[in-house]
Amino acid sequence: MNWEHIILGNRLNMDALPHEWFTIGGTFGFILLPIAAVLLLGKIKGWKWLWGEWFTSVDPKRIGIMYMIVAGFMLLRGGLDALMLWLQQALGSSNMPGFLGVQHGYLSADHFQQIVTAHGNIMVFFVAMAFIFGLVNFIVPLQIGARDLAFPFLNTLGFWLYVAGVLMVNMFFAVGGQYAATGWLAIAPLQGKMFSPGVGVDYWIWSLQISGVGTTIAAINFIVTIIKMRAPGMSMWKLPLFTWGSLCSMCMAVAVFPLLTATLFLSFFDRYLGTHFFTIAGGGDPMLYTSMIWMWGHPEVYILVLPAFGVFGEVVSVFSRKPIASYVTAVLGMIGVSSLALSVWVHHFFTMGSGADVNAFFGLMSMVIAIPTAVLMYVWIATLYKGRIRFSVPMLWFLGFVWTFTIGGVSGVMLGIPPVDFQLHNSLFLVAHFHSNVVGGVLFGIFCGINYWFPKFAGFRLNERIGRNAFWFWIVGFSLSFIPMYILGLMGATRRLDHYDASTGWQPLYVVMLIGGLTIAIGVALQLAQILASVIERKRLADTTGDPWDGRTLEWSTASPVPEYNFTHIPTVSTRDAFWEMKKKALAKQKFEDIHAVKNTSAGVWISAFAFLAGFGFVWEITWLWVVSLAAIVISIVMKAFNEDSEYVIPAADVKKMEAERLAHKPKAPTAAEADSAEDMSVWELVKWLMAYAMEVVRTKRWRKL
Amino acid sequence: MKREHGTIRNYVIGFVLSLVFTLIPYFLAVNHLLIGLVLFITILAFALVQAGIQLLFFLHLGRERNPRWQSGFLMVTAGGLFVVTVGTSWILYHLHTNMAPTAEALQLAQDEGIAQIGDKKTGACDETYTVHTVTIKQNIANPSHIDARLCDEIVFTNDDNTSRDIAFGAPNKPVPYGGVNDLPLAKGQSQMLILNQTGTQSFHDHLNDEATGDFAVTP
Amino acid sequence: MAEALTPHQAHEEAANERATFGFWVYLMTDLLMFSILFAAYSVLHGNTLGGASPRQLFSQPVALTETLILLTSSFTNGIGMYRAREGKKNQMLVWFGITFLLGLSFLGLEIREFTKFFHEGHTLTSSGFLSSFFVLVGTHGLHITSGLLWMGTTLGFVMARGLTPGLVRKLSLLSLFWHFLDIVWIFIFTIVYLQALV
Repeated sequence: MNWEHIILGNRLNMDALPHEWFTIGGTFGFILLPIAAVLLLGKIKGWKWLWGEWFTSVDPKRIGIMYMIVAGFMLLRGGLDALMLWLQQALGSSNMPGFLGVQHGYLSADHFQQIVTAHGNIMVFFVAMAFIFGLVNFIVPLQIGARDLAFPFLNTLGFWLYVAGVLMVNMFFAVGGQYAATGWLAIAPLQGKMFSPGVGVDYWIWSLQISGVGTTIAAINFIVTIIKMRAPGMSMWKLPLFTWGSLCSMCMAVAVFPLLTATLFLSFFDRYLGTHFFTIAGGGDPMLYTSMIWMWGHPEVYILVLPAFGVFGEVVSVFSRKPIASYVTAVLGMIGVSSLALSVWVHHFFTMGSGADVNAFFGLMSMVIAIPTAVLMYVWIATLYKGRIRFSVPMLWFLGFVWTFTIGGVSGVMLGIPPVDFQLHNSLFLVAHFHSNVVGGVLFGIFCGINYWFPKFAGFRLNERIGRNAFWFWIVGFSLSFIPMYILGLMGATRRLDHYDASTGWQPLYVVMLIGGLTIAIGVALQLAQILASVIERKRLADTTGDPWDGRTLEWSTASPVPEYNFTHIPTVSTRDAFWEMKKKALAKQKFEDIHAVKNTSAGVWISAFAFLAGFGFVWEITWLWVVSLAAIVISIVMKAFNEDSEYVIPAADVKKMEAERLAHKPKAPTAAEADSAEDMSVWELVKWLMAYAMEVVRTKRWRKL
Repeated sequence: MKREHGTIRNYVIGFVLSLVFTLIPYFLAVNHLLIGLVLFITILAFALVQAGIQLLFFLHLGRERNPRWQSGFLMVTAGGLFVVTVGTSWILYHLHTNMAPTAEALQLAQDEGIAQIGDKKTGACDETYTVHTVTIKQNIANPSHIDARLCDEIVFTNDDNTSRDIAFGAPNKPVPYGGVNDLPLAKGQSQMLILNQTGTQSFHDHLNDEATGDFAVTP
Repeated sequence: MAEALTPHQAHEEAANERATFGFWVYLMTDLLMFSILFAAYSVLHGNTLGGASPRQLFSQPVALTETLILLTSSFTNGIGMYRAREGKKNQMLVWFGITFLLGLSFLGLEIREFTKFFHEGHTLTSSGFLSSFFVLVGTHGLHITSGLLWMGTTLGFVMARGLTPGLVRKLSLLSLFWHFLDIVWIFIFTIVYLQALV
């Protein structure tokens, strides 16, 4: 009985612990530092507060904010990955020496491929999806006049499964030392045991699998909420555009995430059990994997962008001070894109060899799907026409989106033509295309939404001055980085290239791209500065009315920040832009009613912890670990499911008291002198403030009080 | 009981109909009353109808109050199921037909050592057995005849001071062998040829029409 | 025609509707997951690598028996659910008990079939055909197992707590699940077993 093998499994040994500079750095930066931050927060604010108010909360507002905080942290990691890639490519010309012991640039070829893979996975799964789910969680119930989602427990479960996925994708720093070096979708047969024998691909499989299940659960939750929990009078054709975009997105998600789950299981079986789904020998078919994974992969990008489209639809309307040019067209456009999403996936592998018949059909459908997308763009631009435009930060992000996403969209239509794609497949042209759409569409939409709805999250708006600075650094940096990329692609540069011959003449363009990347990095730093400056000036920036932008939809009828129960009384709605109508008529006297609430639960945390352990057991082939963890999951589910004591009622009288208390503590509106006295803090003023604060802390030795 | 929950009668009717729709295709198939594509379409049709029967009588589909979200989602899912199954089959069928190994594909497959893709053998060898050597010196190939087995290899070595280019078939009508069009040999260089096709094949130095020989490959 | 509901009943009603609709959407995702497995089987079922083909391997009478057992269990499940909604606890326990036993026999037959194949050397790793067969049919079997587990625990709680509205709701969701597993099996029976004879 080899006990070491039984307990630790067949693959785990001392070698798996970090011993290279980047794994040690990663362990500190991405595992130990966040854990330390959470522990510090618990120490300062109290463990009961952290556990009771946040971790076990079933309030979609709390869960939404947690999603966004984790997503923001992962954005920093993904962005750091990108900077490393930009730097390697700028240094990777053959006429330059290598650094740090490698022949080209400073990263070994394998390491470079791991970073490429990690960057893609993190940005799509753990940044974009999470930000979107955070926004949807917080805002959609408010927009439809609901107090919670349909299944509060599943909401917290979905969030913690996402966190388990985040932990899994960072875990290799601490244990294992390698991630998948296969590209973000790990095409077969490279993903198989034969060609990737290490644990990297296993980490890849389980981080995506666990968070993917969380996504499916959350998507079901959102769909049932939007369909079954609307305020009285709010028919489907009165839904705000953000809710429509979210509904379309979640319908696509429930349609295609199961495909990802099944495909990842097949990949897992090939690696763990030795089956022959995607192997090159034994009767497998690697090209089957490509088709299956892109059946998920293409709708995924529409899942990401539809809610962003929804954000833009609302922002362009509010900041042009007129209703959307055509509500019906906008909704039909979003439904159109969603319906067609599952009919285009072969355009990701025109060159694989299915032939002219298949390529022609999917090339045609790829061009057809551009039509509803373009129609949406026209509707938004038409909304600007004859509007009284306010160039606040959300509107700037919308305009940046128009520029960036249109370039990406046009390049996409080009790529959808099979003969053109045969030249441009897997070139940097493709990389520039999808970044223009994902960054210009999804990420800009997220930034737009966060700036727009921040008063609802926190009770004060974000600093506009630094926000504008951040926007300009982003848009200039992005253009500097990705327009040369289109040119490089047309010149023949392929993707995922860690070094190239000097005779190609590519290096100057790569250097321009690096400068663009550094510019974006400054933009990100400015966004962090923006948040910091806003926190510092929060009294001045406080939103006392709940409606700082003169909004049109129901979420602006609540106070800022939104109280626990959202609305004291669920409003009855009769038109689109429901809140706009309510503002025009006299507001009814505030009514109070009993509120059915759901208790906090730790079951989501526990089940996800066991899910992580099961995944870890699968990665390292530690049989007892995954057996025990799976059993624990089943037991936890049974215990939670048969616990009939999960709800409680807040009587109307208590609600009235809570309202009164909230109003008593509401910050007073700043005097006219105070509000307009100065512009928002600038970056330089922020730096001066921070230096003064640091000197104060040192002088009074404030850390002793912790 | 609400209308949407159905009656005992519904369940009995559904059960009996499902029995019928299970037994008929079974007997058709097992007794070979139909074969081939006709059988396939028939049993699939019976399956689809039975699914509909069960949806109607066991799951009371369509009896929900308006708006009928459940029916709507089911129809969209049915569309998705169709796209996934039929789409995958269509794409992969065309792929396999178009990408069946040809001479070039054979050479690529041999380079990578891929002996089988899907259910089709590429014809490449994934391991080699005996190594035979043919040395070309003073315009003569030595030995000029080789008897080999399938998946042996021949190493051609050029010991002359001039470059050579080994091609196959008659000097004025070269053909590819095993996907390989020719084996260029600079002076002193060797190249290997994997014998993945049976039969007799002659070779010659295409640059000078000299150094002829042949090899016979048995399975 | 229906009497007005108290606020509490209305609240329960709305919760039931959400649970049913949500579970229905989940079943749609499960169907789509199965579709990938069906697609894999369609593409790979010819990759026998010279080993046993579907026609040689499958016993049609066994497949028919499994099909009839599962179909009957779907029927008894429906009757049991009807009784549950009527509030007739003991009748409901009998019908669900029969469903449970039928489900168990289905599983038993399937496990016997799998072990027979394994002993004859036709394993998961033998070929693309066998990999896709075992995973498709095995996944359905795992779903049946989960359903039986669910059924067992729920019936246990019914015996302990009585037929509460919450438990009736759980049984109705289980019922949906069980009916759907039978519908998926129709397609497995057709596309895996009967197609072997095409």
